[in-house]
Amino acid sequence: MVPSEWLPRLLGIAVLLPLVAFVVNVLVGPALKKYAAYLSTLMICLAFVCSMTSLVLAWLPYHDPAPAGHGDSEPHAAATSMIIPVADQPQQAHQEIAAYTGYWYRLGQFGSLHLDIGYYIDSLAVCMFCMVTLIASCIHFYSIGYMHDEESEYTDHEVTLSDGSYLTRPGRFPRFFQYLSLFCFSMLGLVISGNIAMTFVFWELVGICSYFLIGFYVERPSASTAANKAFIVNRVGDFGMIIGLMVIWSTLGTFNFGDITKDEPGIFSLVRPAEHQHELIVPAKMVQEAASEKVAEIVQHSESLETALSEIDACTDDWRKEGYGYWLMIVAGLGIFCGCVGKSAQFPLQTWLPDAMEGPTPVSALVHSATMVAAGVFLVGRFFPVFVPEVLLVIAVVGCITLFMAATIAITATDIKRVLAYSTISQLGYMMLALGVGGWMAGMLHLFTHAFFKSLLFMCSGSVIHGVHTNEMTEMGGLRKKMPVTAYTMLIGCLAISGAGIPFLIGFSGYYSKDAILEQVFSFWRYQPENAGWGALFFLVAAGSAGITAFYMFRLWFMTFAGAPRDQERYDHAHESPKVMYIPLIILSIFAVGVAWNFFDVSLTNLLEQARPLGTAASVQGEIVQQWWPDEHLAHQEKIVFPVTLIAFGTAVTGFLLAMLFYGLRVLNAQEVQQQFHMVYRFLLNKWWFDELYDFLWVRPTLLISRLVTGIDRRWIDGLIDGLADCTKRFSQWGDRWVDQGVVDGFANLIARWTFNTGLSLRRVQTGQLRQYVMFIALGTVAIFILISLFWSRTLAG
Amino acid sequence: MENPLLLFSLIIFAPALGALVLAFVPKDKPDIIRLFTLFVTILVLVLTILMAIPGQLPVSFDLSVDTMQGASQVSWIPTFNIDYFLGADGISFPLVILTTLVTMLAMGASWSITKHVKGYCILFLLLETGMLGVFLALDFFLFYVFWEVMLLPMYFLIGIWGGPRKEYAAIKFFLYTLFGSVLMLVAILMLYFSSDLTAQGMEAEQLVAAKIVPLQEGSTPELALEAWIDAGKGLAVEYAEKMNDPAQPIHTFNILALQQMGQHTDLFGGQLWGCSIQCWAFVLLFIGFAIKIPVVPMHTWLPDAHVEAPTPISMILAGVLLKMGGYGIIRICYPICPEAGFELRYWVCAIGVISMVYGAFAALAQKDFKRLVAYSSVSHMGYVVLGLGVWSASAGNLYNSDYWNMGIQGAMFQMIAHGISSAGMFFLVGVLYDRVHHRNLDEFGGIYGKMPLYTGLSIVIFFAALGLPGLCGFIGEIFVVLSVWKFSTTLAVISAAVVILTAAYILWVIQRVYLGAEYKGPHEEALTPMNLREVSIAIPLVVLAILFGVFPGILLQYMDPTIDRQVQELVAWQKREKPGELGSTQSDRSPNDTAVSVGVSSPEQHPDLDMTDQQLSLFKRSSPDHQFISESP
Amino acid sequence: MSLFEPVGVTHYLIVGAVMFVIGAICMATKRNALGILMGIELVLNGANINFVAFGSQYLRTETLGLDGQLVALFVIVLAAAEAAVALAIALNFYNNHATIDVDRADELKG
Repeated sequence: MVPSEWLPRLLGIAVLLPLVAFVVNVLVGPALKKYAAYLSTLMICLAFVCSMTSLVLAWLPYHDPAPAGHGDSEPHAAATSMIIPVADQPQQAHQEIAAYTGYWYRLGQFGSLHLDIGYYIDSLAVCMFCMVTLIASCIHFYSIGYMHDEESEYTDHEVTLSDGSYLTRPGRFPRFFQYLSLFCFSMLGLVISGNIAMTFVFWELVGICSYFLIGFYVERPSASTAANKAFIVNRVGDFGMIIGLMVIWSTLGTFNFGDITKDEPGIFSLVRPAEHQHELIVPAKMVQEAASEKVAEIVQHSESLETALSEIDACTDDWRKEGYGYWLMIVAGLGIFCGCVGKSAQFPLQTWLPDAMEGPTPVSALVHSATMVAAGVFLVGRFFPVFVPEVLLVIAVVGCITLFMAATIAITATDIKRVLAYSTISQLGYMMLALGVGGWMAGMLHLFTHAFFKSLLFMCSGSVIHGVHTNEMTEMGGLRKKMPVTAYTMLIGCLAISGAGIPFLIGFSGYYSKDAILEQVFSFWRYQPENAGWGALFFLVAAGSAGITAFYMFRLWFMTFAGAPRDQERYDHAHESPKVMYIPLIILSIFAVGVAWNFFDVSLTNLLEQARPLGTAASVQGEIVQQWWPDEHLAHQEKIVFPVTLIAFGTAVTGFLLAMLFYGLRVLNAQEVQQQFHMVYRFLLNKWWFDELYDFLWVRPTLLISRLVTGIDRRWIDGLIDGLADCTKRFSQWGDRWVDQGVVDGFANLIARWTFNTGLSLRRVQTGQLRQYVMFIALGTVAIFILISLFWSRTLAG
Repeated sequence: MENPLLLFSLIIFAPALGALVLAFVPKDKPDIIRLFTLFVTILVLVLTILMAIPGQLPVSFDLSVDTMQGASQVSWIPTFNIDYFLGADGISFPLVILTTLVTMLAMGASWSITKHVKGYCILFLLLETGMLGVFLALDFFLFYVFWEVMLLPMYFLIGIWGGPRKEYAAIKFFLYTLFGSVLMLVAILMLYFSSDLTAQGMEAEQLVAAKIVPLQEGSTPELALEAWIDAGKGLAVEYAEKMNDPAQPIHTFNILALQQMGQHTDLFGGQLWGCSIQCWAFVLLFIGFAIKIPVVPMHTWLPDAHVEAPTPISMILAGVLLKMGGYGIIRICYPICPEAGFELRYWVCAIGVISMVYGAFAALAQKDFKRLVAYSSVSHMGYVVLGLGVWSASAGNLYNSDYWNMGIQGAMFQMIAHGISSAGMFFLVGVLYDRVHHRNLDEFGGIYGKMPLYTGLSIVIFFAALGLPGLCGFIGEIFVVLSVWKFSTTLAVISAAVVILTAAYILWVIQRVYLGAEYKGPHEEALTPMNLREVSIAIPLVVLAILFGVFPGILLQYMDPTIDRQVQELVAWQKREKPGELGSTQSDRSPNDTAVSVGVSSPEQHPDLDMTDQQLSLFKRSSPDHQFISESP
Repeated sequence: MSLFEPVGVTHYLIVGAVMFVIGAICMATKRNALGILMGIELVLNGANINFVAFGSQYLRTETLGLDGQLVALFVIVLAAAEAAVALAIALNFYNNHATIDVDRADELKG
C-alpha cells in the first residue's frame, strides 16, 4: 500500500470509527443497553486494526527502521569530546523527514490565510495510534466488567439524600461508553492533526471528554467540582497556548506543521529551513514582524513597492542578527508549552490531576495516565523543532520541579489511585525534563513505555478497588492470595515503572526509557562548557526521584498485596475480578515488559528515530542562557551510559529495599518516621499546600472582582441612570409647581382678586337711602356742571 | 434575482400583513391566532431559506457576487431623495436568515404566553417586520424608520407581558435605545446635508457602485452614466442639471452612495467644533449602535430587559436585536466614515475587550439564571466589536488586510453563533422557568436526573456558548482572538484570557443547575421532561450549533466575498489617504504576503485597486488633488 | 333786572327754577313717599315751564316753533306714567311694610 494515500485513509477511518460509535450511542444509546458498550468496543478494536495495518502494511515496508546515524556520531563525540559544530552533522544535511501531510477540508479562508482540518502523519503519529487504540481497546473490555453494575439500577453509596437514604438512579452503562468513544475520537484526532490549530481543537475536545468522565458520577459534588477544576485549570494552560497560536498565526501566517505544497511552507521548514542545514533560525516573517517600525520607515521613504521589498529583504538578516523576533520565538514556544503544562499536569498546574481520580478507574487508566495527560508531552515532542534553547530550559526546569514534587507527595498518599496519579505527574515530569535537556527520543520513548505500564497499574488498582470496594490502602493488605492475577500483573507494572532490569543486559520497558532520560540529563550536565549550570541539579533530582519512585510504588504494592490484611471484613469479601477484566491486564503487562525491546531492528526506538524532527539531532547553544544542549547521540557513549545505568539501578534498588523494610517486612515503622518529621509529613500530606495557595491567589480574587463588577453595575451605572431619571422627574415637578402654579395662575388670580376688592369697597355707597341718592344726584349734577363749565372755559374760551 | 424588490418587500411586510389579518380574528380563539402567527413566521423563513439555497432558483442568493444583490429602489419622498431602497449582501443576508429563524422558533416558544394572545401576536409580527426591514434597508432614512418601528413593539412586549419589574425594564430599554437612535438621527442628518452626488470624486464608477446608475453586462460605468442621463428618469433629470455646478448639491440618503462619498470624496471632511464631520458622525452612530450591542458601560438595560421579558422575547432580544448594533457598525460606521474609523480603531477594540472581560466577570457573580445569560451576551458581543475593529493593515506590514478580514469574518460568525447559542440558552432557561417559576441558581440542582434529554440539549448549547471546538461558539471566538495579536499585543492577551472566565461561569452554572444529587428549589413535582413542542424548538438550535461548529464554511461562504471586498476597499482608501501611517503595533510581511496584499484585489473584481493604482497611491502623500488619481480612468 | 320792565322769558325761568329747587328739596327732605312723589312732580313741572317759556312765540322773537310745547306734553305724559308706577310701588311697599317711609326701604343696600 502506498503510504502517501493509504496512511491518511486508514488513520482517518481509525479516527472516525469511535465517532460513529459516539453518535450512535448518543442517538439510540439507552435503547441499546449493554450493546452500546459492545458497539464502542468493536469500533475501537477496528480502529486498532486500522492502526496496526497502517503500521505493518503501509509504514514498515516503505521505511526501513534500521538504526540511523548512531554509528557515525560517536566517533565525532570521541574526537571532539565537548562541542560538535552544527554544520557537520552528516546524517542531518539535506535529509528528508518521512512525513505525510495534507488537509481534508477548510475551516476558513481570509485573503491568503486559511485554517484547515488536516493531517500530519509520521512514524510518531502511527506509533501513537497503535498505542492509543491498543490501550483503549483493553480498557473498553475492562470497563465492560468494571462498570457492569451500571447496567441496571445503581445505588451510589457516596451520595446521601436529604432524607438520609442513598441515591438510587438508573444505570449509565451506555453513557459511559459514549464518553469513552468521544474521547478516543478526540485523542486520535489530536495525534493525527496536521496543524497546531487543529491540535488545539482536539486538545479542547479531550479536555471536555475528561470533564465528562471525571464528572461521570454527576450526583457527587466532589466529582463535579473535580471536573470543573480539571477543565478550568486546563483552560488556564490553553490561555497560554492561544497566545502561542496568536504569535505563530500573526507572524508566520500558517499553522501547518509540514509543507502542504512547496510554495506553502509549514512551521517546521520555516523555522528550520533546509538551506540552513535545518538549524533553528528566526523566520524572516517573524523578524520583520518585530521590526515593523523599520519596515514602515522603509516603505515611506522608498519610491516604489519593489525597491521597498528588496530593501526590506536585504535588511532582514541584519535585523535578525540584532535579535529582532527572537523574543517572539520564545513567546510562541512558551505559549505552546503552557498548554502542555496544563494538559500534562505539570507544575504549577498539576493540582487538577489527583482530583481527577474522582472518575471511574478505567477513565483514570485511559485518560488520566496513558493518553490524554501524555498529550502534553506528545505536543512538546511534536513542536520540539520550534523550541529555542531558552524555552527548552524552562521546560526542563518545570519538568524537574514537577517530578520531584509529585514523587514526594506520592510517598504520603494512602489512596491507591492518588498514589498512581502523583506517580503519573512525576513520570510526565521525567518526560518533560528529558525533552527540556534535548532528549527527544528519551522523552518520546518514556511516553510510550509509561503509557503501557501506567495504564496497567491503574487497571490493577481498579481491579483491587472492584474487589474490596475501597480506595484506601490502609484497609487493604494481603490481597495477594485473594486476587493473584491482579497482584502479579501489578508487580510487573511496579517493576516496569521503577525501571527494573539487569544492567547492560535486558530489562522491563521502563528500564530503557528511564535510563535513556537519565543518560540525557547526565550528558547535559557533563557537556556544559564550564561545568556548571542546571545540569547537576537536574541529574541529582532525577536520579533521586527514581529511587523515590521505586519506593512509593513498592510501598503501594506491599501495602495492598503483602503482609496481613488490615481490614479483615473487607478482606473476606475480596475476590478476583472476572476474565473480561484481568485478560486485558495480562495483555498490557506483556507490553509493559517488552514494548521497548528490539526485534530484528524493528524497535520502538528505531521507529521513532524516523520521526525525529530535522535538525534536532544536533548540539545547540542558547542565545540568552549560556547553556549547551548536547546532541542526543552523545548520550550513548560508554562514559555516559555506564555510570548512569549503575546509578539508576542503585537508586531503584535502594527505594525497593526501603519499601521492603517499611511495608513488606514491616521491620521499620512508618508512623515513627512520620512523627519524626512531622512538619515535612504535614507539608507533603497537604500536597505542598498548592490548592490552598491557588484558592487564595486566584479563586477568591476572581469572585471578589466579579462581585465588585456587579456592584458597579448595580450602584454606579444603574444608579447614574436612575439618578438621571429621578432628576428629570424632580425638574419637571419643580417646573410645574413654580412656573405654572406660581407665575401664570398667580397673575390671573391677582387680577380677579383686585376686581373683587374694588367691588367690595364700592358696595358701601349703596346705602339704600333714597334721599341720600337724591342728594347725590343733585350734588353730582352741580359738580358735573362746574366741571363742564371749567372745561368750556379751558378749551373754547382759551 | 428577478424582481427582487417584490421579494424583499414580501419578506419584510408579510408579517405586517399577517398582523393586519390577525386584527380581524376574534380574540377568543388563541390557538388559531398562535398557529396563524407561527404559519406566517414559517412562511417568511421558507422564503429566506429558498434564497439561501445555492442554485439557479430565480430568488437564489448568488454566492459569487461580492456586491449588493437585488438592490433596487422606488422613489418614496422625492423632495429629499428618500427612496424605498432594499438589497442584501453577504453581510446582511445571513442576519436576515438568523432573524427569520429565531423569530420562528421564538413564536414556537410563545405558547406559554396566555395573556392577551392576540395583541401579543400582532406586536410580535410587527417586530419581525421592523427587524427584517433594518437588515434589508439600504436607504438611511428607511433604515431609521425601521429601526424605530422595531423599537416600539419591543417596548410593549416587555412592558405588558414581562415579569414583576416589567415597567421599569421596558422604559429603561426604550429610553436607552431611543437615546441611541436620536444620536443616530443627528448623524444621519449631518451626513445627508453634507452629501452631494455631483461632488468631485463621485465619478461614474462610484455612482454605479452606489446602484444609482444601472450597469448592464459588458458596459462601462461611463457609458452607463451617459445612458442613464439620456434616459432622464427620476434622479437623472436633477443630476443632469446640477451636474456641472458645485453650488447645487444633490443630497442623498442612499447608504451605498454615502459609503462611496466617505471613501472617495472629502465631503465629510468639513470641520465642526475642532473635529471632522465624519468623526462626529462616526462617534454618534457608534454610540447609537453600541447601546444596541450593548457594550460596557451602556449595557445595563440588557440584564433588566432580559430578566423581565418573557422567554420568546428574550430569545429575539438576544438572538437578533443585539446583532443590529454589530450590523450597523460594519455596514454604516466603517464604510461611511473610514477616516474616523481608522483614527478611533484602538478605542473601538478597547471597548470590545472591556465588554468581554466585564461581562464575563459580571456573569460569574449572578444569582439569577437569566441575568447570568444576559451578561454572557455582553461578553460575547464584545468579541464582535473587537473583531470589527482590528484594523491591523498598516504600512508596517504593507497594508496586509488579511487579519482584519479574519477579524470581521470572526465577528460576523460570532454574531450568528451567538444568535443561535444565546437564543437557545434563553429558551432553555425559559423551559425551566415555566416549570418551577424561579430562576435562582442556588435553588436548582439535580435536573440531570429529572430531565435527561433537556440536560443533554442544554449542555450542548451552553458549551457552544463556552466556545468548545466543534460547536459554533468556538469558530467566531478563535477567529477574532487570533486576528487581534496583529493589531495589539496587549488587547490580544487580555482577550485570550477571557476563555478562562467564560469556562468558569459556564461550568459553574452547569454544576449548580444540572448536576448534583437532588433539586433544592420549590415545585419539584413540576419538573417533567420536555414536551414535543419544546424539543422541536431546541433541536434545530442544537443541530445548527454543531453544524456551524464543524463546517463553518457553510456560513462563511455567504459572507466571505462581501467582507473581502469591503476590507479591500477600506484598505485601498487607507493607502490613498493615510500612506505610511504606522497603524497598529504589530506588522508582518513576506514575499508571498505582499503578492497577496496586492493580488487579492483581483482586477476583475476591484478595477480601482489594480497594481498600478496601488503603486501610484501607496507612496504619495495624500493631497486634496491627488486623491482622485486612482479613480480617474 | 327789575319788576318794572315787561314780563319776559326770564321771569318764567325764575319761576321754573324756584319750582325745581323746591321740588328737589322736597325730594331730598321728605320721608313720606307721597311727598317725594310731589317733589318729583314739582321738578318736572318746573322743567315744563322752562320748555313752554322758550317755546312761546309771544315771549321771544326768534321762535322754536312748537318744539317747546311738544316736549312739555311729553313730560306731562311721562310724569303721569311715572306717578302711576310710583304710586303702585308705594302701595305695594305699604302692603309689605305697613308704612311708606322711604328710609325703611333699604333692602337693596350693598
